[in-house]
Amino acid sequence: MKRFTKGLTAVFVLVLLVGVCVGFGEASSKVRIALVLASTTDDMAWSQSMYDALLALQKQLGKDKMELVVSERLGNPVDAGAAIRQYADQGFDIVIAHGAQFQSVVFEVAEDFPKTSFAYGSAFKTAPNVFAYEPLAQQGAYLNGLLAGYMTKTGIVAVVGPVESGDAVKYNYGFEQGVRAANPKANFRIAYTGSFGDVVGAGELAKVHMDAGADFLTGSSQQAVGAVRACAERPGVYWLATDMDQSSLAPDKVLASQVYHWEKLVSHMLDLRAQGIIGGQHLYLSFADGTLEFRVSPKLADKIPADVMSKIEKAKQEIIDGTLVIELPKGTK
Amino acid sequence: MQGIVISDVIIGILATGVRLLAPFLFASLGEMFCQRSGVFNLGVEGIMMMGAFVGFFVTLRLGNPYLGVVMAILAGIVLGLLMALISVTMQAPQGISGIGLHMFCWGLSGLLFRVYVGFITSIDGFKPLPIPGLADIPVLGPILFQHNWMVYLSILFVPISWFVLFKTNWGLKVRAVGVAPQAADTLGVNVNAVRYQCLMLGGALAGLAGAFLTVGQANMYADNITAGRGFIAVALVYFGRWNPVGILLGSLLFSMMNSLQLWIQVLGINFPYEFAVILPYVVTIAALAVAVKNVWAPTALGKPFRRESI
Amino acid sequence: MKKSNRLVQSLSQVALLAGALLLALLVGAILIAIAGANPLVAYKSMFLGPFSGKFGMTESLVKATPLLLVGLGVVTSFRSGILNIGGEGQMVMGAIAGAAVALAFPKWPAVILLPLTLIVSVLAGAVWGGFAGWLKAKLGVNEILSTVMLNSIALQLCLYLIRGPMIDPEEIAYGTGTPQTAQLPRQIWMARLVKGTRFHWGFFLAVALAFVVFIFLWRTTIGYRMRAAGEGPDAARAAGINVEKYQILAMAMAGGFAGLAGMVEVLGVHRRVLEGLSAGYGFSGIVVALFGRLHPIGAIPAAILFGMLTLGADMMQRAVAIPAAIVMAIQGLVVLFVVGSDIFVRHPEIWRRWFRKKDPDTLGRLEADSAGNRN
Repeated sequence: MKRFTKGLTAVFVLVLLVGVCVGFGEASSKVRIALVLASTTDDMAWSQSMYDALLALQKQLGKDKMELVVSERLGNPVDAGAAIRQYADQGFDIVIAHGAQFQSVVFEVAEDFPKTSFAYGSAFKTAPNVFAYEPLAQQGAYLNGLLAGYMTKTGIVAVVGPVESGDAVKYNYGFEQGVRAANPKANFRIAYTGSFGDVVGAGELAKVHMDAGADFLTGSSQQAVGAVRACAERPGVYWLATDMDQSSLAPDKVLASQVYHWEKLVSHMLDLRAQGIIGGQHLYLSFADGTLEFRVSPKLADKIPADVMSKIEKAKQEIIDGTLVIELPKGTK
Repeated sequence: MQGIVISDVIIGILATGVRLLAPFLFASLGEMFCQRSGVFNLGVEGIMMMGAFVGFFVTLRLGNPYLGVVMAILAGIVLGLLMALISVTMQAPQGISGIGLHMFCWGLSGLLFRVYVGFITSIDGFKPLPIPGLADIPVLGPILFQHNWMVYLSILFVPISWFVLFKTNWGLKVRAVGVAPQAADTLGVNVNAVRYQCLMLGGALAGLAGAFLTVGQANMYADNITAGRGFIAVALVYFGRWNPVGILLGSLLFSMMNSLQLWIQVLGINFPYEFAVILPYVVTIAALAVAVKNVWAPTALGKPFRRESI
Repeated sequence: MKKSNRLVQSLSQVALLAGALLLALLVGAILIAIAGANPLVAYKSMFLGPFSGKFGMTESLVKATPLLLVGLGVVTSFRSGILNIGGEGQMVMGAIAGAAVALAFPKWPAVILLPLTLIVSVLAGAVWGGFAGWLKAKLGVNEILSTVMLNSIALQLCLYLIRGPMIDPEEIAYGTGTPQTAQLPRQIWMARLVKGTRFHWGFFLAVALAFVVFIFLWRTTIGYRMRAAGEGPDAARAAGINVEKYQILAMAMAGGFAGLAGMVEVLGVHRRVLEGLSAGYGFSGIVVALFGRLHPIGAIPAAILFGMLTLGADMMQRAVAIPAAIVMAIQGLVVLFVVGSDIFVRHPEIWRRWFRKKDPDTLGRLEADSAGNRN
């Protein structure tokens, strides 16, 4: 009997040891990332761009090196707060709250979990363990705007906006500057649906824009997909996409897209963490480091005159050099 | 504002308004029958969501939008039956069971979309179908006769509903059941059967309204695609005072105001866009408030019928 | 005899609720299986989640707080014969009005500023709700129509304010422009009671108010008249009660509670007004009121239960990685099954007819009982 007890103890200790080793081994080699989204992983815009990027990163690193979990439809800050806190509580290394509206709750939770990295954006405010990230949406918007300004035949360029705030404002402002730079006489029109997610409303707004003569349209946030689809119905109209490449929705209409390469930003974050920096930095997506991409649809590339393309390439280079600065709105209206 | 011909703008506003009309008309007319029979179905929004998903999904998989519409109607009927089971047979408080139905349908449509589709994609829905001859009439043509067939159908449903409600035997039963269920019962009308029929009809029309959003309007599906339109449809029944003509007027007012605000924004008339967005809501309340006061309603609305409890 | 009868009655009510929940979860299990997860594993995390550590326990109460406040308003209006589906808009109006006052007088001491902001939020919600009641009473505008419209109007109005005149100056300075107000003055934040969680004393405020509502509805003349107006408007009119007046009052009270719920969320959880603040509480508060048998005291456990249920469902979704839509679907199922089973409470004789031989004596008494309890 005694021997049995001893044996059992030995086995128990062994199991414990192995467990601890595996535990430690895991803790050092595997990074655990949690993503909190306001809409869904398939919104074809802001949220999906981040989710797809993280999936790509996971594929690159291997599933044994990176764990990824996601919680979606957390449009209201109450439930998002619960999710962020729970992930931190469960010991995730990086909690990404993908939306500026999560600022309050991220800071609050970050205080209670000083060893966890948090990231959110588009935003500016950081803390020792909070990264703020921000796509310089106005830069790609400017290029989109140039394209529209040079190529519009009716002279009318239109924006299908969601709610006049945050990224949408930056994007629209950059777009307007591009249009004006290319074509000072162009008629630039902007309207909002008043909702981030109403695809039907955005489609109707796009139709009204087109009825009123617009032939180049753009717009941001997940509602915009409704507008993309509405463009597909009309001849002679083009859409300029942002957040991600939306050409799968209307292959003949999406002329160019500003694509966010979040995977590079997150991988940079991982590097920083490896160096012991767990927050406090303001990270950008920009053309300079390739985290922003201006992608012309391969299918439609021949529709863009060569001189227009070269002007856009030149502007892009100037943005990278810093000789061309796209202004941001001075305060909100 | 340069380069804009005023008459084109007015035609544009009216034509857009007519196009926006259809989902409200379908859903409101259906809800009108429910309420006429004494059942208040707040689940219209949810049934529309399921109709929108089913219509989209069938069209995506089978490539036939007509089949999509039929299946959406069937889905609506099933959900109408569910609502009837809960609020007629089980006599549950109707406002709350409607909210439950809305939550369930929102979740279910989102789940099915994720599991069986998984990404945003587009379908080929109905194209505008100009009516030969009529579509070429100046002014009236573009406003009324250059839409897809579902828009025409929705407008056609107004006189049909009116006829069914006021000129048929079944319509008489519906009205009787909504005003005096006890008396109707004594005269041999099966009160609950009539209410079941109305809820199924209402469900069918709500499913149709949902299918219009995906197959007739957006040509795609996204989470929460109805975005509150079902609740507006319920509100418009009150605006129309349970009368198809009134509902047509209410839906017209609401969608014309919506069209107007879109055009105001597009043409760059400068004021905070939020005030444009709320225009339809404000005008609808105001219009009803200044209209002649009339508090008639189906007197048994919202009250489950029990033969035993006299 | 009567006491034990009531005990049996309330026990059977609890059993019924449990049965309805069980059935709803059974159907929900099918959905979970469709999503490719194991329902047993999923439900395990759903039920144990809210009890796992201080996070789960407190977070349920954080959710229960606005649910209870909105629910109390719904109880009051429902008892007066009006269904308030304008809670979303009323919450937003309460929060934005209260925040405006707090931001206007940031230096005032908490003893003055805190009650002031709370009162202003109640008033703003009451005006928004009472307006719908007034439209109904004076102009014959149905409250369902007006509250649906007023919800949209409040939402856009709030967005305009928090991205325009009331936006956080820092958001302008940095050019990010997120629509939110600045943080409210620190002295009026509702203190958090458990370190490392966001459980604040607003919960106890809500519970205390539940008792106030109970006393108001059942122990005061006004409360009695409101209930009379709800039980039978015609009989109430015949008894000389001004039904319209009490319905306006009921809507104002419902709005006031929703407005307060909005402000309590701001002071206890967010510390600023931001987008999406109402979080659907305006609707789920109605469900809570019903779960609580339309009784203010019953709303307390109902709010906690519903808070646990939604939190647990959220945690389940994260634990087994299934689409978030399932959470909404299961909530809907729970509501449908619970309201569906309600008939056995209102008419226990059906229950008896199914499971027992008819006992005409009991049947008659129970029918008389349930007729007296009808709401």
